[in-house]
Amino acid sequence: MRHTAAIAGRELRSYFTSPVAYAVLVLFSLLGGFFFVLQLSSFNAAVAFYQQTQQLQALESVNLNDYLIFGFYQLMWLVLLILVPGLTMGLFSSEKANGTEELLLTSPVTIWEIVLGKYLAAAAMVTILTAVLAALTGIVFFYGDPEPLQTAAGLAGVWLVGLAYAAVGSFTSSVTRSPLIAFFFSVFLLFILFMLGPAADMGMAGATGSEADGVLRVLRWLSSEGHFNELTTGLVDTRALAYFGFIIGVFLLLTKASFESVRWR
Amino acid sequence: MIEVNGIRKRYGDFVAVDDVSFSAGAGEVIGFLGPNGAGKTTTMRILTGFLPATDGTASIAGHDIHKAPLEARRATGYLPESPPVYPEMEVRSYLTYVSKLKDVPRAKRREAVDRALERCGLTDVDRRPIGQLSKGYRQRVGIAQAIVHEPQVLILDEPTVGLDPNQILEIRELLASLAASKDGETGHTIVLSTHILAEVEALCRRVILIRQGKKVLDQPLDEITRDGGSLEAVFARLTLRGDVGDEVASGSDAETGAEG
Repeated sequence: MRHTAAIAGRELRSYFTSPVAYAVLVLFSLLGGFFFVLQLSSFNAAVAFYQQTQQLQALESVNLNDYLIFGFYQLMWLVLLILVPGLTMGLFSSEKANGTEELLLTSPVTIWEIVLGKYLAAAAMVTILTAVLAALTGIVFFYGDPEPLQTAAGLAGVWLVGLAYAAVGSFTSSVTRSPLIAFFFSVFLLFILFMLGPAADMGMAGATGSEADGVLRVLRWLSSEGHFNELTTGLVDTRALAYFGFIIGVFLLLTKASFESVRWR
Repeated sequence: MIEVNGIRKRYGDFVAVDDVSFSAGAGEVIGFLGPNGAGKTTTMRILTGFLPATDGTASIAGHDIHKAPLEARRATGYLPESPPVYPEMEVRSYLTYVSKLKDVPRAKRREAVDRALERCGLTDVDRRPIGQLSKGYRQRVGIAQAIVHEPQVLILDEPTVGLDPNQILEIRELLASLAASKDGETGHTIVLSTHILAEVEALCRRVILIRQGKKVLDQPLDEITRDGGSLEAVFARLTLRGDVGDEVASGSDAETGAEG
C-alpha cells in the first residue's frame, strides 16, 4: 500500500501542476454559485407568492431543505456528471500516451496498487468539490435554520455520487490512450446510468408481465437517480450505500482488468 | 544473473519470439542485435515483466519472472524505447517517485536520487520540468530512472536512438561506466539492444543476434572479430540471407555464463 500512496500523491500533484484541477474547481464553484443564487431567488419568489395569495398550506410545504437545498444538490449532481469525467479522463490514458505505463507495469507494484492509487487521487478531488458545496450550503445556515442532518445526508449523497462517477471515469480512461475519448465515453456511460431509472419508469407504466417487471426493477435499482434522491431527502439507508459500493467495486474491477489487459494480448 | 529458457511469445498465428534461450553472468554486457521487428523489444518486455511469455521461463537474479514477478522486477532496471517520463514533473521529483515505486527504503531515497542524478549528469537540471529538456537529457533521465534503485540487471532498449553524435558519445560513456566494476563490486549486468554496431563493439563482450524471433548467433565479440571478421559482415550474413537454417553459432556462452 506504500505504492498506492506514492501513486496517489503523484497524481494529485499532477492535477495541480496542470490546469485540470483549477479548471474543474473554478467551473464547479462558478456553476455552484450560479445555481445556488438561482435556487435561492426561486425559493424567495415562491415564499413571496404564497404569502401574497394567502396559501398558507402551500407556504408550509416550502421549506429550506426540500425546496432550496434538495433542488440545488440535484443541479450540482448534473454538474458532476460533466466535471468528474474531466478529472478522471487522463488517469490511465495519459500513462499509455506517455509510455509511463511501461514504468508502472515493470515496477514491483501490483495492479491493484496502481488502480487504487489513481482512484484515491480522483476521490480526493471529488471530496474537495463536496467541500466547496458544503461551504455554499453553509450560507443557508447563516440566514435560516435548515435541518443539519438532512443536509449532511444530502451532501453525503453528492459525495457518493461523485465517488461512483470517478470509478466509472477511471474505467473509461483505462480503455483508451486518448483523454478526450475517455471523457466522452464516461459522460455517455454516466448518462445511460442516470437514464436507466426514468426509462424503467416509463417501461413499468406500460409493462404487465411479471418477468418484465423484474427486469425493470433491476434497471431501476441500477440507476443512480433514485438512490441519490433518497439521500438528498435525508434518507440514509443501507440500500443506497450498497448501491454506491457496488458501482465503485464493479468499475474498479473493470479498470483493473482493462489496465492489465495489455498483458493478455 | 539472467537465465532465459526457451521463451516464446505468440500473437495469434504470429510468433514474435520463438524459443529464445540465453544466459548472462554477473557484470556481463550483452549486445542484443537484430533487424527491426526481429523480436528484440518483445523479448525485453518479457524479461522486465511487462508482457508474459506464452511459453518458457526466465529468471532475473534468481527470481523466476512468472513465479516471483515482484522480486524479479525489483532486481531489474528498464529503459523502454522511449523514456517513460511525465513531462510536467521535475527531474528530481520524478526520480524520487520512481525510487518509491522501486522500493528504495525511505532513509536511502535521497542518496539514491542524488547518485542517479550525478551519474547521469543531471545534477544541474534537477529542478527543471522533464518536458523542457532536450532529447538527450530526457534519455539521461530515462537511464537515471533505470538505475535509481541500483538494480543488478539493466535492460536498455535502444538507449541512443534519435540522439546526435555528441549525445550518443555521452550516453555510451555513461553506459561504459555503469558496466565497469567499481569499489570491488561488479558492475551492472546489461542487456543492450541497438542498431549501432560500433556501440556494441565499444561496450559489449558478447553478442546475441535474433532474426524473426529466433536466436541465430550467440558469441563473444572477440571470437567474431578474431580472424579479421567484422560485426557488420556477420550481421549482414545472418540477417540478409533467406534461410535461417542451422546457422546458430553457439559460442562458449555456457562456460562464460556463470550464475550470478
